Amino acid sequence: MPLILAVDDSPSMRKMVAFTLTGAGHQVVEAVDGQDAYEKAQGQNFDLVLTDQNMPRLDGLGLTRKLREHPQFKNTPILMLTTESSDLMKQAGRAAGATGWLVKPFDPARLLEVIKKVIK
Amino acid sequence: MAEAHQDSGGGGDFDLTQFYQIFFEEAGENLDLMEQMLLNLNLETADDEELNGIFRCAHSVKGGAATFGFADVAELTHQMESLLDRLRRHELQPNSFMVDVLLESADASRSLLARHQAGGEGEALPTSDLVRRISELAAGGAPLTKAPELTPAPAKPSSSAADAAPQKTAAVGKAGRSLEIRVGPLEHPEQADAIRELFRDIPGLGEIAVIPSDKKDVRLFAVHTASTDEDLLDLFAFHVSRDFIAIKETQPEEPAPIGLATVSGDDHPVGAALAAFPGFGFFDGAPGAPVTAGGAASTGTEVKVAAKGAAKPSGAATAQPEAATIRVSISKVDQLINLVGELVITQAMLAQNSRALDPAVYQQLLTGLTDLDRNTRDLQESVMSIRMIPMSIVFSRFPRMLRDLASKLGKKVDFVTQGEATELDKGLVEKITDPLTHLVRNSCDHGVEMPTDRVAAGKSETGTITLSASHQGGSIVIEVRDDGRGMSREKILSKARERGLDVSDTMSDAEVWQLIFAPGFSTADVVTDVSGRGVGMDVVKRNIAALNGTVEIDSAEGYGMKVSVRLPLTLAIMDGMSVGVGNEVYILPLSSVVESFQVKSDAVSTIGQGSQLIKVRDEFMPVIELEKVFQIPRFNSGKTSDIMVVVEADGSRVALLVDELLGQQQVVVKNLESNYRKVPNVSGATILGDGKVALILDTGALVRRSRH
Repeated sequence: MPLILAVDDSPSMRKMVAFTLTGAGHQVVEAVDGQDAYEKAQGQNFDLVLTDQNMPRLDGLGLTRKLREHPQFKNTPILMLTTESSDLMKQAGRAAGATGWLVKPFDPARLLEVIKKVIK
Repeated sequence: MAEAHQDSGGGGDFDLTQFYQIFFEEAGENLDLMEQMLLNLNLETADDEELNGIFRCAHSVKGGAATFGFADVAELTHQMESLLDRLRRHELQPNSFMVDVLLESADASRSLLARHQAGGEGEALPTSDLVRRISELAAGGAPLTKAPELTPAPAKPSSSAADAAPQKTAAVGKAGRSLEIRVGPLEHPEQADAIRELFRDIPGLGEIAVIPSDKKDVRLFAVHTASTDEDLLDLFAFHVSRDFIAIKETQPEEPAPIGLATVSGDDHPVGAALAAFPGFGFFDGAPGAPVTAGGAASTGTEVKVAAKGAAKPSGAATAQPEAATIRVSISKVDQLINLVGELVITQAMLAQNSRALDPAVYQQLLTGLTDLDRNTRDLQESVMSIRMIPMSIVFSRFPRMLRDLASKLGKKVDFVTQGEATELDKGLVEKITDPLTHLVRNSCDHGVEMPTDRVAAGKSETGTITLSASHQGGSIVIEVRDDGRGMSREKILSKARERGLDVSDTMSDAEVWQLIFAPGFSTADVVTDVSGRGVGMDVVKRNIAALNGTVEIDSAEGYGMKVSVRLPLTLAIMDGMSVGVGNEVYILPLSSVVESFQVKSDAVSTIGQGSQLIKVRDEFMPVIELEKVFQIPRFNSGKTSDIMVVVEADGSRVALLVDELLGQQQVVVKNLESNYRKVPNVSGATILGDGKVALILDTGALVRRSRH
């Protein structure tokens, strides 16, 4: 069963993402911000990281950068869920090592459609 | 339940409504937090952390509102976010107009959310004026009038090529309409691509993105623009005949508008922002990205990002403690408290029954019972602490209220809070909020003087109202202090005489101050719409007394006044005095017991209609025979001395006639009304150590009864 790390500081978004993913047969670990996610990522092998961008303590880009430093996350797909889809944001996402992005708001079906493309 | 959500595209299998409640609570918290931060914001020294924090609140609400389909909230918070975004990037300097409009918008968002939460009934609050004011402030930061201007609105997004890119998306974001434009069938579909170039070449035209089309000879575009259909058709006609173009307006909730990457007039290379309608994309060759071929990914979703100047947007890595909390419904906590209450009673019964046991024989059992006693007590304390919430919850509503009130009255007021972390039972917090609000309003309205008067009196122009909370023994003391004009002893005395109250010039200050608690008493010179209508302090006092609390006043004319409210920490446990009447045991709240003494039966004098009085130190007070109130038989009625317990409530004292004093103990209060029915003169019940039920007397009701 694919294991997904879902990171968002908004409980309602987090719950919606988690519910959608578990409903589709994925296993989900939730984290409340980048720092929390980074700590939870230690010693676990995730098949996908879905992260919000704007969060307290450590934002999505920061999390992506930190995760990419670890060999175990070198090839893990990391998708940014973000309301900002400006070019700058995308450049920053690419530079940080993100796999792709998904713009909020999205509906659950779209989320599943996107992650199907990156999860084996 | 909340308003039906209109699903945007293919998500029909999912019921988003189940997340509404979480979202409403979360949005409420975010708006509260935002308000608090806005009020604390120092316009000159606002730092990144504060501005980012405020931005994040608006950002979160917007994200959720857009996801869950509350378009009006999303629209308003999107505007707030745009303004806040420019502030946190230091492109604009915060000013008080912005704070005002943001506060108003937070209020409006709350009201919109409340309407959705109630199922979308009734008229939605119009927000177009707010939206316009915010976007004008975001555009230039100039102070504006509330009246709509005569220029046609919404104006075309006036972004020029020189504009900085980051706020462009936000500025263009929601102004105008979302359209789906269908071009074809064309023999050479690539003709249609020229339309995309139009959007790139003409600044301010709007945004365009390609939608994957199922027909080869048809091109679909998602467009966000402020231009009319006619203008668009005129433009497109340069490349494609009008006959092959169909324009359709799409729902504002559709994920397109915010998700579109801008292609219009910025100076990025064309390829840099091939936006994909689905609102997602993968970076070519990035770790974990799907291999480019087939599916939506091949229809233009990859973005070749120019490597130059990978500017890092000002992130939000501020230090904030992790929210290590869980949300539990109050009813679950109350059930837990109830069960622990039962456990305490069982433990007390065991303790009582074990007293007869021989310690030498039952040593182990008795040791176990002692442990049980200690553990039960600890458990009870821990469980009660769950219901404790910090006073900051109450305090946080005052800065906003005072800000509005002071500006309305033309006064300058600083608000200081102390001891916000002091905890109090949730039930008490809810009930103390209104009385405290009244006291704080009073301080601002009647206490603090006008700036000129203050200067004339040699004080600083700005008055200070201090709200503090602290634990003192088993109580919490909340103080409202101001450095205003204080109360005038003479004024109160003359007013009291006017009202026919029994006063003398030799009364102590404390007694004089207590006069303002008399019903309908007000010394305000003018009746304002704030307070001073004479309904006030008596209600405050009664509300606080109903919580087993007391109010004290201290004042010095010309220097200010202080109102201290003392409350028990919880309503669920009470210090009581148990008294015996006949075979029954009654509990009196210890906070209302003044004294108890033994008197000879003949010290009680009977006046008309069977009423009895007793003289205690030169003061006559009514005697209430509990056996008559509750109609219970009394034994040894032939005795020659009686035990009296003097209780005080609502400023009056009565002497209760009882058979014996049994002791003082903490009792777990059970609500009689919800478990049985309302019983006159009784405020609740408790279970004693021996398993018997004892009624807790409502001293306020007994005192009122004696007045008739």
